[in-house]
Order: sequence, then structure tokens, then C-alpha cells
Amino acid sequence: MAVDLSTAFGRLRLKNPIGTASGTFGYGLEFSSYLDLAALGAISVKGLSRRPCHGNPPPRICETDAGMLNAIGLQNVGVDAFLEDKLPELARLGATVIANVWGDTEDDYVAVVERIGADRRVAAIEVNVSCPNVVKGGMIFGNNPDALGALVKKIRAATRHPLVVKLSPNVTDVVASARAAVDAGADALSLINTLLGLAIDLERREPKIGFTTGGLSGPAIRPVALRMVWEVRKALPKIPIFGMGGIETVEHVVEFLLAGANAVQVGTANFRDPSLAGRLVEELRVWCADHAVTRVSDLVGTLRTRPRPDHLFS
Amino acid sequence: MAVNESLRVLRTTHYDEQHYSLFLSAGSIGGVTAPGHFAMIQAGEGLRPYLRRAFSIADVTTVAGVPALEFVVRVAGVGTAALARFAEGTPLPVLGPLGVPFPIDDLLPADRVALVAGGIGLAPLVLLARTLAARGIAADLFYGGRNEQDILKRADFERFLGPHRCRYATDDGSLGRRGLVTELFTHALAGGARYRRVYACGPVPMFRALARLLADAGLEGSFAMESEMACGFGVCLGCVVPTADGRFATICREGPCVPPTFIDWTRL
Repeated sequence: MAVDLSTAFGRLRLKNPIGTASGTFGYGLEFSSYLDLAALGAISVKGLSRRPCHGNPPPRICETDAGMLNAIGLQNVGVDAFLEDKLPELARLGATVIANVWGDTEDDYVAVVERIGADRRVAAIEVNVSCPNVVKGGMIFGNNPDALGALVKKIRAATRHPLVVKLSPNVTDVVASARAAVDAGADALSLINTLLGLAIDLERREPKIGFTTGGLSGPAIRPVALRMVWEVRKALPKIPIFGMGGIETVEHVVEFLLAGANAVQVGTANFRDPSLAGRLVEELRVWCADHAVTRVSDLVGTLRTRPRPDHLFS
Repeated sequence: MAVNESLRVLRTTHYDEQHYSLFLSAGSIGGVTAPGHFAMIQAGEGLRPYLRRAFSIADVTTVAGVPALEFVVRVAGVGTAALARFAEGTPLPVLGPLGVPFPIDDLLPADRVALVAGGIGLAPLVLLARTLAARGIAADLFYGGRNEQDILKRADFERFLGPHRCRYATDDGSLGRRGLVTELFTHALAGGARYRRVYACGPVPMFRALARLLADAGLEGSFAMESEMACGFGVCLGCVVPTADGRFATICREGPCVPPTFIDWTRL
């Protein structure tokens, strides 16, 4: 059975709904011997800043139950080096590139986006307003819908690229963040970024991570991610969504599609198996065929929920 | 270029409760491994351990005639404990060989080098010793541990390098000189030993002391560094060390084998 994996994602048309998440996929090129970059729906590269960034002092990571904690601190080569040294090769390999961007201030974000300009080798811009691992930056915007809206409005005015806003899960009401981003001109949303966590070394009585807290990722966060995708999909039926958080198998991909994601991004699992994302494209094709699904987009948002009781006491 | 493949457990040799050698089928990794390379091994399909673990490829050898990779492991946590328990024939996902190996191509037959190991830091030095021996380059081993039990692969080292070139130090004096391996090495330098290069692997305090010794003696070194890492190929950026030029460098990609002058020891 022929299965159509192509995915309409706002103005973008993705080959399939399997992408890779920023911060877990380097600049893509590191994976080129383990999978075919052109076979993926999209790759979101490591968050780019106006200037190169050294990141946080070690220790930066530790394993946790069914996941890991990280506080890398957005170490990256900077937008100039990315455009000069990485992007040409990514384009040559046929990758659909999403440039993830971040900054400490609104002006920083705008500067990165302006530097990318109208470069056609970049398919979309993903705005990181949700990194928990820097003192300033991302999360200041991610935790406050007003600040988020103001930032997205400025970035929107600075670029014609499709604009994806990657939301923080470290909020009480993710729908409020989603609405603020969309009202300010976001074309699409990515959710979720990492959940703020703490791991402790008992013997030293110290945090395992130098930054004290870190971002939790991996299978442990998948139920939270699915819930947030589902909530945002209910509130905003039309907005394209990249769903992510603990995807390891094709079944997990389908879970996100059912919850309302149009496409997914494989994250921490890329560390565990660098070939995984490529394999998931083929496994999704097989899954759809086995389930008599001819178009993968038919799965999106088809979760069947029961009505919730409006009272629990008689 | 590293390969992502499934390798079979050929044998697990337990030295004591804390130490074992894991032998995996060599796959296509064996043929392209150089001393100092490492591999990322997934200990099973479950979520505990979740991430692959990084291990030096201790040796490229054979088990009952089958080409094999050997990993010498000290049980330090969930991953190393899990890896000890796989039955013969179990396939394990392995990514390797990874990283920058020890620089050895510039060595000449007349050169003499030193190998300094602390504890489980012996691991990458086994294949180095084998390779140097095959090239006819004389190497002195300085190997320290807490006690005699901690000193592993002694027969291999002595076979490759010659027993007279292998010197040991233990905290309790149960084998070789009582004290630290760096004291043993200092003693050799005081006795007039000179080396074209000093290859080392061990805990950070050993590296720190050795870096100072080498700087004072004007000797070149190559240290195989260890760090917790999620990916092993330069994307998680979790395994960094502070560098002398003010950056954070990934151990997996710019290392694991680096000159001691590469690292800013004051910030490590």
C-alpha cells in the first residue's frame, strides 16, 4: 500500500513528519554518516546566537531515570560561522534546515534573524524562548506571555521566513504562551522544550550539574509533552505544531500525531542512536500501511477522548 | 569514520567484583581502531541505563579465533553494572571507533616512550602497548592502583613491553612501590629516564600532577581524558573540559587524547 508521508506545515511542505530537535542534532552534519539528512522531514540545528557562545562550565549533563538532565548553556558557533561553515554542506546534502535562534535580549534575537535574512537554504526559523539553562535569555520570554508576544512581534517584523516558536513547558498554562506567540505572528509552534529539574549527588551533597538545575529530556517527559500538544491543539485547531519530548519509537511518533502534532522532532534519542530518526521515517511508512492509513496527515489530532464528568459527587 | 552497529557479546571475564573485561565481536569497528579510540555501548534495550556509555577500546584481539574488541570496565554505576550481565551471543548496539587517538605515527624506532596508568586508566594503554611493541618502539609502563587486585592485564603489558619495563605502585604496597604512580614516575625521571612522549590515562588528580611533572621536565604528553557523555560524537556538548585557550572543548570530538597543555587545569 502506498503511503503519503508528506506533511503540510503552514507554508512549508515537509517530505514526512519526522524531524530532529534543536540541541540534540548538532548542526546536522555530525549525523550524515549515520542517516540520510535529505530523508528527514526537517532538522532543527543547535540554537544560534548573534556571537559564538562558550556555554556553561562542566559538569553539564547527567543521566536520570528514563532520561537526562542537561545545562549546556547554549554553546554554539554563532550564526555567522553556521551560515559560512555548516549551511552550504547541509544544503548540498539536501537537508530541510530549521535555524533555531536565541538571544539574551530582543535585539539579539532580531540580529540573528536579520543575519539569516532571506537565505533560501533556511526553510524556517525556530525561536527558542524556553531554554532553562542560561541566566538571562530564553526563559525570561518563555515564562511571560506579554514578553513573549512582544519578542515574537519584533522577530516577525524582521523576517519573512516561516516562524516557529518553541514553547517552554515550565509554565502553568501553555495555551496562554501558545496564543501569545500566534497572536504576535508565529506561523507554527514547537512543544515542548525541556522541563526544569534537579539531580543530586548524595555523597558530595551537591547538584550533579554545575548550573545546579538543568533541563529534563527523554522518555520521562513524554506524557507531559503529549498533554501539552493536546491542550494547544484543542485551543488552536489550525496552527501547525512540531511535537517533541521523549520520542524513541514509531509508536511514540504516532502518539504525538494523534495528540495533534502535524510533525515531530526526535530529541534526546539521537544521542542514544544516531541512526534512529532516519529509521523512524521508514517505520512510520510501515506503521501506516499496517493500519490502513494512506495519508499520515489523516492521523493528526484524531485522538478520541471521552467527555469528562462535570461533577464527582452525587 | 565511526560505525553504528550491533556487536555480539563473546565473553565476559570477571577479575573481581569491581572489574571485568567485556569482549564483543569486532564487527567493522575492529579494523579501523587505533590506540586511544573509544566506543559508545548501549547496555540493553531498556531505559535503565538510558544512554550509551563511553569506554576506551582496550584491545583489538581474538576470542577463540573470533576477532574481538576488549573493554576493561570498573563497575561505577548503573551502566557498568548492567553491561557485566549479558549472556554470550547477546547483541549490543555499539558506535565506534570515536575520538582522536593517541599520536603515535610520528614515533621513530629509536624513540622511547612512557605509559602512565592510574586505576581503570589502564584501558586505552593495552592496545597502545600492543601497537608500540609491534612497531618495535620501547615503552616503560608506570601503573598505579589501590592494591594488587586493582592492577589488571599485567600479563599482557609484560608480554608486550617486557617485564623489566613494567613498574607498579600501590597505595598499600601489595605490588611494586608503595605510593602514587606519579611518585614512581618522578623517581624514574630523577634516575635519568627521558621520553619522547608520555601517554597517560587515569583520574583527574593523577593527570593534574602528571601535567605539572611533564611541564617541569619539558616532556611531551598525550592524556586520554574521561568525561560523562551522552552521544560520543560531538553533538550533546555534555563532555566538555575547559581549555587553555579559554573555550570548552568536547572530550569526545577534540579528545579523548589531548596534550596536557590543551587543558586549563585551574578550571577543571
